[in-house]
Amino acid sequence: MIHVHDLTYRYPGQSRPALLDVNLDVPAGQFCAVVGANAAGKSTLCYALTGFVPHFYRGKLQGTISVAGRDLLQTPPGELAGEIGLVFQNPFNQITGARFTVREEVAFGLENLGLPREEILSRIDEALALTGLADVADRSPYALSGGQQQRLAIASMVVMRPRVLVLDEPTSQLDPVGTREVFAALSALAAAGDTTVVLAEHKLEWLAAFAQRVVALSGGQIVADGPPREVLTSPEIKGCGVGQTRYTQAARVAQRDGLVPADKPLPITLQQAIDFFT
Amino acid sequence: MQRIRSDFNTLTLVMIPVAIALNIAVGQLIYALKIPLYMDSIGTVLVGVLAGPWAGALTGLLANLIWGLTGLNVPAAAFATVAAVIGMLAGLFSEGGWFRRWWMVVLAGLITGLIAAAISAPISAYVFGGVMGAGTDALVAIFRGIGFGILPASFAQGVSSDPLDKAVSFLVVWLIVLGLPRRFLARFPRAESLQPEETE
Amino acid sequence: MSETFSIYLARESGLHRLHPLTKLALAGFSMVAGLALPGLWLTYAAFAVVMLPVAAWGKILGAYARAVWRLLLPFAVSLLLVQGLFWTGGTPLIRVGPLSLKLEGVIFAVRSSGRILLVTGGFLLLALSTRPDALMIALAQRGMPRSIAYIVLTTLQIVPRFQAKADAILDAQRSRGLETEGNILRRVRALLPLIVPLVLGSILDIEERAIALEARGFSHPGPKTSLLVLADSASQVAARWGLLAGMVVLIVARLVAGCWA
Repeated sequence: MIHVHDLTYRYPGQSRPALLDVNLDVPAGQFCAVVGANAAGKSTLCYALTGFVPHFYRGKLQGTISVAGRDLLQTPPGELAGEIGLVFQNPFNQITGARFTVREEVAFGLENLGLPREEILSRIDEALALTGLADVADRSPYALSGGQQQRLAIASMVVMRPRVLVLDEPTSQLDPVGTREVFAALSALAAAGDTTVVLAEHKLEWLAAFAQRVVALSGGQIVADGPPREVLTSPEIKGCGVGQTRYTQAARVAQRDGLVPADKPLPITLQQAIDFFT
Repeated sequence: MQRIRSDFNTLTLVMIPVAIALNIAVGQLIYALKIPLYMDSIGTVLVGVLAGPWAGALTGLLANLIWGLTGLNVPAAAFATVAAVIGMLAGLFSEGGWFRRWWMVVLAGLITGLIAAAISAPISAYVFGGVMGAGTDALVAIFRGIGFGILPASFAQGVSSDPLDKAVSFLVVWLIVLGLPRRFLARFPRAESLQPEETE
Repeated sequence: MSETFSIYLARESGLHRLHPLTKLALAGFSMVAGLALPGLWLTYAAFAVVMLPVAAWGKILGAYARAVWRLLLPFAVSLLLVQGLFWTGGTPLIRVGPLSLKLEGVIFAVRSSGRILLVTGGFLLLALSTRPDALMIALAQRGMPRSIAYIVLTTLQIVPRFQAKADAILDAQRSRGLETEGNILRRVRALLPLIVPLVLGSILDIEERAIALEARGFSHPGPKTSLLVLADSASQVAARWGLLAGMVVLIVARLVAGCWA
């Protein structure tokens, strides 16, 4: 579904590449998380997977990117709507402003794609149910909380049934309640299983719950790529500023103090931690 | 490359509502500061300067029509063409390189104000009887008092305020543009004519 | 619609249910009538006989009358004072201090007020009884570019937020010691520290909003559809054509009469 080959990209006027020799193949339906310190290239990668790098940001790009069968270097982002979706950090800026209710806001993308009205109506209900916004469907998008607005952004993308959905740190500007709401929506999406998801995130405990794969970026390069438990507990990760889940940290302390055998695999979720300590 | 232009147009498009809101917000600040100017076209001029005459004209046109559409200031809608011309002139002057030196900016503003007054006067005279329903009508009274006809008095009132208003507006926009991040300005090809000759 | 920049009043009325373009046609007709009708009293008569009953039908009579009054009063007063008192030559009617109210000036003021009444009255009616998004969709369905609709509707929603932001910046800068009172020069100097944060704060937002709009398929090629359906009827279509024809007739009649005057 996603094929990135030898991608190297520099923003205009920058000599240091934001992404360097990135190779990434994501199969259809996978939930792939991307971690890395700030400025490691997570956002740039997200924009590259959705065509905004290089078409919106200009700059120099080498390599190839193919998503959902489309050559992203040849396709302007506007044409990708409906096949590739993007959700980014600021919930407020993702409200178009051109619609007065949540329901109509969700419909906006489908109107642009030219779907028939009956189709639009049924898809809206689906998307609102998935993101838990059915009870605020008739409110103004500007009257929602940050968490609700971000869920609205997700609903507005999901309603277009993209084959790939890319999310760039969707919870970074939200409070804990909002974060929980957004991850609930993402887990519903993951459970449905038909969308390939790429999620750039800092909040490791949350990703550990449903990511099927974790890619770690540092300085624009991929430094680790594999199953979540492997990547999030590997020593390389510690070095590049990603941190570790609380469960991993606690477990490492226990191992260091000899309370648990040194070869036992470190946990990244609560359930794994319980198994680890018993 | 041609298809990339759609990105650029979207950026301009998104800027226009913000510019119109800026018109209104700045007008509000001016009022709060009790400065005897309108300064209600800062956003329009900014769009003209950054994105060109047509974008500037559209901004001005819609800014005024929106007042009419919302019912909040219906008379303002009658002057939509004036606002459009202001936005267009801002763009033309910018393209012509007038936004490089402060005194040229001021001159451009004065000329624009003069033209705006010239276009406003007939509309004011024909539709609104030569008055604005505001304090500035005292000026119209004075001109009428010394024997000016309705249209000339309206024009004279305009000339006594519009050129100054637009000159200050143009100057403020010029200063704003000088303060904008280069990265942002680089998105607007027309902004090439705005880069200051030397950094101050 | 929470906090949108407009005077729209939602009501259950026949007027509200009319197709937006019908109301727009009425506003256009009213504007042309205001500009073309001769004499002193026809405009007032037209207003009383057409606009007020329509407002009543729309259950917005009170709001409409207030809006009209608020709009017209400053003009009427100004007209009377400026053109009435300062009319060149003319027949004096009443002495007002060193000046006198001239007959021609008063006649002019009455005629102009009537003109303003009709020209703006139709649009006030439109604004009070029509959802802005319904009007935009109606126009878009008749060929207006969607970008225009986008600009208008988005402006309506972000203006209140911008106004709030401007107030917040004013407060913040004042509390940091910005001088906003005093002589004119000081107040003008206060402008930049107020405007610049407002502008810069919007810049990054603009880029992200452009990306979001693209991601929602705004530039997607192909025909567009619409969620909102606008109720229309054959009689309304006929009415609109009638109003359009009426406008043409008025304009022609006025031009012809003008040629002979």
